[in-house]
Amino acid sequence: MNINTPIEEREFKIVGKSVKRDDVLEKVTGEAEYTGDVKLAGMLHGKIKRAAIAHARIKSIDVSKALAYPGVKAVLTHENVPRVLHYGSPHPRSASCTKDQYILDDKVRFWGEGVAAVAAISEEIADEALDLIEVEYEALPAVFEPEDAALPGAPLIHDVGPGGNLVLDPVRVNRGDVEAGFAQADFILEGTFSGGRPHPAYMEPNVCIADWDGSNKLTFWTSTQTSFMVRGILAEVLGLPLTKVRVLVDHMGGGFGAKQDCFQHEFLCALLAKETRRPVKMEFTRHETFVAGRARHPCKVWLKQGFKNDGTLVARDMKLVYDSGAYGSHGPGVTIVGTTAATSLYRCENVRLEGRCVYTNTPINGAFRGYGVVQSYYALDIQMDEAAERLGMDPADLKLKNVVRAGDIAPSGHPIVGHGLEICLQHGIDVLDWKSLRNRDRTPDPKRPHIRKGWGIGCEMHGSSAYPGIKEQGNATVKVNEDGTVTLLTGAAGLGTGAHTALAQIVAEELGVRFEDVGVIHGDTDVVPWDIGAFASHTTYLVGTAAKMAATKVRASVLERAAMKLQVKADELDLSEGKIFVTAEPGRFMSVAEAMGPSRGIPAANIVANGTYEPTKSYSFAAHFTEVHVDTETGIVEVKRVVPVHDIGRVIHPIAAQGQIEGGIQQGIGHTLTEDYVIDKKTGRSLNAGLVDYKMPLSMDMPDIETIILEAAPDPGGPWGAKGVGEDPIIAIGPSIANAIYDAIGVRFHHYPITPEDILKALREKGA
Amino acid sequence: MKRIVELTINGEPRDMTVETCCSLLDALRDDVGLTGTKKGCDVGDCGACTVIVDGQPVNACLMLAVEAEGCTVETVEGLQPGVDTLHPLQDAFMRHGASQCGFCTPGILMMAKKLLDDNPRPTDEDIRFGLSGNICRCTGYTKIFDAIKSAALEMEAARS
Repeated sequence: MNINTPIEEREFKIVGKSVKRDDVLEKVTGEAEYTGDVKLAGMLHGKIKRAAIAHARIKSIDVSKALAYPGVKAVLTHENVPRVLHYGSPHPRSASCTKDQYILDDKVRFWGEGVAAVAAISEEIADEALDLIEVEYEALPAVFEPEDAALPGAPLIHDVGPGGNLVLDPVRVNRGDVEAGFAQADFILEGTFSGGRPHPAYMEPNVCIADWDGSNKLTFWTSTQTSFMVRGILAEVLGLPLTKVRVLVDHMGGGFGAKQDCFQHEFLCALLAKETRRPVKMEFTRHETFVAGRARHPCKVWLKQGFKNDGTLVARDMKLVYDSGAYGSHGPGVTIVGTTAATSLYRCENVRLEGRCVYTNTPINGAFRGYGVVQSYYALDIQMDEAAERLGMDPADLKLKNVVRAGDIAPSGHPIVGHGLEICLQHGIDVLDWKSLRNRDRTPDPKRPHIRKGWGIGCEMHGSSAYPGIKEQGNATVKVNEDGTVTLLTGAAGLGTGAHTALAQIVAEELGVRFEDVGVIHGDTDVVPWDIGAFASHTTYLVGTAAKMAATKVRASVLERAAMKLQVKADELDLSEGKIFVTAEPGRFMSVAEAMGPSRGIPAANIVANGTYEPTKSYSFAAHFTEVHVDTETGIVEVKRVVPVHDIGRVIHPIAAQGQIEGGIQQGIGHTLTEDYVIDKKTGRSLNAGLVDYKMPLSMDMPDIETIILEAAPDPGGPWGAKGVGEDPIIAIGPSIANAIYDAIGVRFHHYPITPEDILKALREKGA
Repeated sequence: MKRIVELTINGEPRDMTVETCCSLLDALRDDVGLTGTKKGCDVGDCGACTVIVDGQPVNACLMLAVEAEGCTVETVEGLQPGVDTLHPLQDAFMRHGASQCGFCTPGILMMAKKLLDDNPRPTDEDIRFGLSGNICRCTGYTKIFDAIKSAALEMEAARS
């Protein structure tokens, strides 16, 4: 249940302060151990043979030459790995998803799919052995676009599922009466929108190491956001009890959502290690990180909305088609979340939505920051700008009029509790003096009249936790040691967001000890409490609340023990900054260490408590105000300034929260202007699977970002009202840029990325 | 074929026995055990493996280990002036939140050190240009710019 008691007001000692992150100390010294840094005695190196064809049946596969190659220790193909149908994204509720994957199959469904794996004494030998594997394919007709895949008679990519290359049955949401709504409308806007295939491009390529011991137990190091899900699916597919699979992850070099699946190479690494009885490391090349990683779902959106002349929205009809790539992965989740998200953001009583997710013979798309909502809100927000123009209204006024309010039904189906979008919008309008900004000249430099300036607003909301798709659970264990220090055990992964620091702050604050006295143990599934994984902007919200609950319990136990030693009742005591004192007589005190430690005839205490929290959901909100300069001669768009205004409830660590927002903006600028992982429409081959050809915004491209965080609408479900922050920025920045481009040059774009070629072509057409 | 390469790493004389095709990056990570330097792409695109060789920043993945014969190599592990002391850049990166996942951090720290060694009072543009070969995917660079500016001021103050 969500906690719904009023949020406690207090003077914070640790929460709200940007304390030093322990994990960062290790990172700046180079000591932080990432999975790729682990080296075990006798370790072999694994490599994957990848198909150079998009859709085919394997007629034969001959590994004899590879097996005979000196230094090669094992070769796996579909003929000698367990044939277990499984689901690649092992969320707890993926029980409802159609299992569509084998570790290795006799069929290839996308260019780059693994068809065999080799373990050898060096990476070079493993690589050379791949070339000795001879595969004979029977080519099958392939489809690369969801529209083609959905046509009757299109080649079927899977035998399972609802058919017609659908990943799941269409997601339909109906509220009110859409036809009656359109009948009331003074005007109707209709448009199609589309999004490319941006890639998370985390800096650390996927990597894992498998090692089996004599008791047939697998120890598995892997760069994952979801170690318990990896443990679960490995155990399921390999037929092991959970006591025989231990997953370890210390530091990880980013994930942004994509490192939630259990990847093909992870199964293969475990099997190669089992076969050879030696540890095996498997590390992606950067090329593989694209080809065999997970990108955002390309999406086509058709959106029709009816408006009254006063700006009231009376009907919304929307169809979305997400391209899943060759397997389901997060297709179902993204389709459900992205589609249902469109019930909200801008209020409308009459809503009809249909989301589809379609298999194509392209690399797999998965979870990525903004999870399905980037696509749907891009359309909603741009069309709201178009409506404002049609009405002769300022887009800020129209958005302010229509944004959802407290008590409105959220996409999750429950009334929104902490609601801050209106406040974010109004705050940005005020601090920027928005109206006067927009009335200024569009040519900032008279000597360069081809440079046009424009401003745009993008709005968004996003949930912390994946409810109702997944009923989540946060867990924490807190132990107080005999010297008064505290150990927090958490299963939440450390992606680099600073989540562990935030959790330690919460425990220290609640318990009443110094931040420095709290140590965090994480990343070992044999030791820490079960965790669902780090995704859905939920760690601070969900695990933070669980940690606070555990801290409340141990605090009471510590006070009871001190009461015994001080000869008072526990409720006469208070605890602050590691000192326990009699509230009425602050001169009578003892330290937590004195309370916990042994004294004559009394051994040291063992005080441990667990916190378990199963919330519904909170929503965070943002309005981004963005200035662009468009060079009408080159078509290049420069994002000059972004003022992101976010409501994330109570802020635990301000610098870490700002960092999430600024990093999300960087990725979102890329999605909107330069980033697209391109798949050749004739062959299915990747055309830019590398960091030079896949263009991300770098140091020279970043705008001035003036981050504003409002603690406008705390949600009682999170610790002292804290809500998520990771996903919000990437959703709001996109439409703010597209709207700003329109403001600058008077040309509307309904797709991303908006490239210089698109700009020049549109300007030519407009001129003509 | 293996060769013995003699060089200086973080002030210590070292030798490495490496295949002639081995990159300086792999030699540092696998042979010397200095895993602070990261492999983000192995083809010179990302800058995560930036180290300083004879005073020049290089992508260690693009340099053969055998080319480092007789060279002086500095890596992130050599950045701390003393066991309990951080380099001003390291401290500033911590305080300003300039490191999130941290995978790009060692390379960016080495590039920033070179930048400040050559140009103790960099402008914002100097910093942006100086880091243009280092990809950070987490921070949006804003906090990295803040940290480098802050470290430059502290180093300047310490000198005067």
